[in-house]
Amino acid sequence: MSESRRRKMRTAVLLLAPAVAVLLGVFVLPMLYILLMSFQNKQEHISLVNYATLVQDPYYLQVLWRTIKLSLLTVLACLVFGYPVAMYMAQASSKMRGIVTFLIIAPHLVSVVIRNFGWVILLGEKGLINNVLMQAGLIDKPLRLMYNELGVVIGLTDSFMVYMVLAIATSMYQIDVSLYKAAGILGAGKLRTFLNVVVPMTLPGMLAGSTLVFSLSMSSFVTLALMGGTSVKVLPVIAYEKIMTELNWQLGASISFLLLFSTVALVTLFTRLVETKRYKEVFSS
Amino acid sequence: MSRKFSPLGIIAFIVVLFVISPLLVVIPTSLTSVKYLSFPPIGFSLQWYSKIWDRPEFVDSFLFSLELAALTAVIATLVGTMSGLALHKYRFRGSGTVNGLLLSPLTVPALIIGIAVLLFFTRIGLAGTFTGLLLAHVLISVPYVVRLVLTGLSSFDYTLERAAYIMGAKPLRVFIDITLPILKPAVMSGMIFAFLTSFDNVTVSLFLVSPTTTTLPLAIFSHMQESLDPLVASISALVILLSLVFIIILERVYGLDRLFGSNSHSH
Amino acid sequence: MSKSFDVELINVQKKFGTNVVVDDFNLQIEQGECVSFLGPSGCGKTTTLNMIAGFLEPDRGDLLIKGKRMNGTPSNKRDLGMVFQTYSLFPHMTIFENVAYGLKLRKVSKAETKRRVDKVLDLVKLPHVAERYPKQLSGGQRQRIAIARALVTEPTLLLLDEPLSNLDAKLREELREEIKRLQRDIGVTTIFVTHDQEEALYMSNRIVVLDHGKVEQIGTPWDNNRPASEFVHTFIGKSNRLTGVVERVLDHTLELKTDTGISLRAVRRNDCFAAGDKVSIYMRPESIALHVEQRHSAATNVAKGTVKLTSFLGAYSECEIDIGQTVLTVRLQSVEQDGWLSPGMHVYTEWKPEDVFVFARKENGR
Repeated sequence: MSESRRRKMRTAVLLLAPAVAVLLGVFVLPMLYILLMSFQNKQEHISLVNYATLVQDPYYLQVLWRTIKLSLLTVLACLVFGYPVAMYMAQASSKMRGIVTFLIIAPHLVSVVIRNFGWVILLGEKGLINNVLMQAGLIDKPLRLMYNELGVVIGLTDSFMVYMVLAIATSMYQIDVSLYKAAGILGAGKLRTFLNVVVPMTLPGMLAGSTLVFSLSMSSFVTLALMGGTSVKVLPVIAYEKIMTELNWQLGASISFLLLFSTVALVTLFTRLVETKRYKEVFSS
Repeated sequence: MSRKFSPLGIIAFIVVLFVISPLLVVIPTSLTSVKYLSFPPIGFSLQWYSKIWDRPEFVDSFLFSLELAALTAVIATLVGTMSGLALHKYRFRGSGTVNGLLLSPLTVPALIIGIAVLLFFTRIGLAGTFTGLLLAHVLISVPYVVRLVLTGLSSFDYTLERAAYIMGAKPLRVFIDITLPILKPAVMSGMIFAFLTSFDNVTVSLFLVSPTTTTLPLAIFSHMQESLDPLVASISALVILLSLVFIIILERVYGLDRLFGSNSHSH
Repeated sequence: MSKSFDVELINVQKKFGTNVVVDDFNLQIEQGECVSFLGPSGCGKTTTLNMIAGFLEPDRGDLLIKGKRMNGTPSNKRDLGMVFQTYSLFPHMTIFENVAYGLKLRKVSKAETKRRVDKVLDLVKLPHVAERYPKQLSGGQRQRIAIARALVTEPTLLLLDEPLSNLDAKLREELREEIKRLQRDIGVTTIFVTHDQEEALYMSNRIVVLDHGKVEQIGTPWDNNRPASEFVHTFIGKSNRLTGVVERVLDHTLELKTDTGISLRAVRRNDCFAAGDKVSIYMRPESIALHVEQRHSAATNVAKGTVKLTSFLGAYSECEIDIGQTVLTVRLQSVEQDGWLSPGMHVYTEWKPEDVFVFARKENGR
C-alpha cells in the first residue's frame, strides 16, 4: 500500500513539476516581486511613499473612480442586452440555441485588437453610424462616438457580453419548466411570472456574470487605448504609462495592486450585498 | 406559438449582430479603393492586400506570432495535460489546492501579469528575450489546457486502462494506445485554445516583446495608434479568416459551448 | 506441496488504512476449475480479484499463479484475461482491433492474429461484427466481445468481474449459459465474482462465500445446503427464519420451540448447544411441504396455517403461509402446485429434521 502510494505520489510530482515550475517562475515570484516593489521608493528602500501618493493625490482617486464608473456602465450594458439573449437561448430550439451560442462565442476567439478595429470602422467619422445618420439628415456633422467614454463602454460591452450571456443562460437552463407552469396555475401573468420566478432564479447567473464582467472591465487596457484615445485615463492606462514611459516601476507596481485590491474589494462587497441570507438559503445546497 | 418573430428573438438578433458586426465590417472595408476608413466602403480594389507585402513588419510579425503561438500551444498542451493527469488520475492529498493554484493565473488580470513578469524578468535578465515571452504565453495558456483535460478525464473510464494493462500492455503503451486517443478531443481543443490565446494576446506581449521582434496583434495595435488606414483592415481580414478555421475545428472537435463554461474565468 | 494448483492464495490480507477488507484468505484453485467469489458489496470479493489481477498488492500473504509467486509482478506480466462489469471495450478501436490488441502486444503475426480473432469471434457467435465499433453493439454483444478479447491470448486464468450485472434478466441467463459452455469447452481456469447466488451456483465448481473480508465458506454448490454459518445461510438463497430456544439436546437431534410456540426437531450438526440457548432457525422455502390434511399424528415439524398469497414464477410457484404471527415462504414446483392452492385455504406445513438449520442467536440479534 504505502509502496504503491509512494510510487503514485512520485509520478504525480513528476507530472506536475513543469507546470509548477512555470507557475512559480512566471507568476508567483513575479507577483511577490512587484508586491515588494510597490513598498519601495526609487532608491529601493522599504517605504510607503507610493501608496501615500495614490491616496493623497486626488488625480489617482479620480482615475480610480473613472475606472469603476466605466466598469459599472459596462456591467449594466451587458446585463440589459445580455439578459434577453439568455432568455431567448433558454426557450429557443436546440438548433437556434446552438447557432446563437456559436455566434456569441466565436468572435471572442479573435484578437481584441481586431474587434476594436471593427468598431473604429463603425463608429468613426465616416463610419456606418455617422453615414446613416447623415444620409437620413438627422445630423449635419459627424457625431463623436469614440475616443471618449462612450466608445470605451461600447468596446468593453462587445468584449465581455459573452460572459454575461453564458452565465445567465446557464442559470436559465436550470429553471424547471414546471415552475413556469406552477406560476401560471397560481394565476401569475407573464410579467409577474418573469419578475417573481425567472428573475430571482437567475440571480446567481446575473451575479456571476456581473462580477466577471466587472473584474475584466476594471483591468482592460487594449480597448481603453484604442477606443478611449488619450483622454480617457483609467488605472490600467496610467499603470502602463508609469512603467513604460516614466519608468517609475515602484509607483506602477503600487497602481497594479490598487487595481487588484479595489477590484477584489468591490466584487466582494457586491456579492455580499446580493447574497443576502435568503439568497443563501435558496441557492446553497 | 411561433417564435420566429418573437420580440425576444428580435432583441437576441440585434445583440448577436452587435457582437459580430465589428468583424463583419472588416472584410468589405479591406476592399476599399480610398485611403481612409469608411463604411460602407468606397470603390473596390485589392490594393490593400498587395500593400501588406510592402510592409515587412506585418509579414514578419505574422510569422513570428505563428511561431510563438505554435510553440506555446505545444508546450502548454504537454505541461497542461501532464498536470491534468496528475491531478485526476493520481489524486493525492492537496491536489485540490494544486488545481486551484494552476488555475490562479486566470484570476489575475493579464495586465498585472504582464507588468509583474516584465519587472521580474528585467531583474533576472529574461526581459525582451524570446524565452521570456514564450514562458509568459505558456503561463496564460496552461490553465485552459488543464481545465479542458480535467473535463475530459472526468468522464474517462479507468477500467479501460486496466483492461489494456492486464492484456499485457506496459504503462506507457496503455497511455499511448488507450488514454491519449480517448482524451484526444479534450487535448486537441486545449491545444487550439492555447494557440488562439497566444496568437490573440496583446496585453501580456505588450510588456515582453523586444524592440526588434513583435507579434502581429501588437504590430496592429501600434499601427492603429499612429494611423488608421485600410491596410489594417486587410491584415485583420486575413487574421479573421485564419481564426475562423481554428474556431470551426474547435466547434467540430469539442463544441464552443463546452469550451466556455459560464464561470470559466472566475474562481 | 506435491500437487500444483493454478492459483493459490495463502493467508492473504489487504487493508485500506486501518480497515481490513480482506483477511486471512486461503484458497487453492485447480486447473480448469471455475470458482465463484460470492458475497454482498463490500465483502472483499472485488478487492481479492484485484489482487489476483495485480491492480492491488496484498499487505500480507502470498499469491501464486501456476506455482509462481506473483506478489509485486505487474498485471501486464501475469498472463491473465479479464472481463469487467462495464464491458470496457476500447471505444476508439473496432471490434477486431479490440480483440486483436492483446495479440498485437505479443507481436503475433498478422495472419495468425486474423485466424485467432476469427476463431474467438466464432466462439462467442459474433463473427460478423469485426469491423464495427463498440458503440454500434448492444450490451450483450459488447460483453461477448469482452469475453472473446479476454480469451484470445489463451490466458492461464480468466477473471470475470460481475460480467453480467449490467445486463437485463433474459440476457443474463443466456450469457451465463454461454460463459459456462465456453469455460467448460476451453477448460480455462476461471474466477467469477458475483453478488448473485444463483449465478454462482449455476456457473461454478466451487463457491467462496465472503463476508466482511472473511471467507465464510468454501464449498461446492451442493454444500450450500449445509451452510457453515448463519451468514452463508441467509446470503445463499431465500430462507425462512424463526426465532426460538433449545428445549432439549439429544444425541442426534435438537428439540426446539419457536417464540410463537411451534415445536421443532432438527438434526444435530457440529454444534454445542445447551438447553435454553436462544437460536435462529432456518428452513429453505423448497424444503417445506404442504398438505391439505395432517399426515402424521406427531405434533413436531408440522404447523397449521392459512394460504395468504400464491405467485406463479415460471418453473415454480411461491406461496406465503401464515402459521400464526409468522409467515413462511414455501416454494413448490409448478406442476406440483397445479392450481389447487388458493388464498384463504387451510393447509399443513411440514418439514424434515434434516432441513432445519439452527444457529446460535447473538444477544444483539439480527
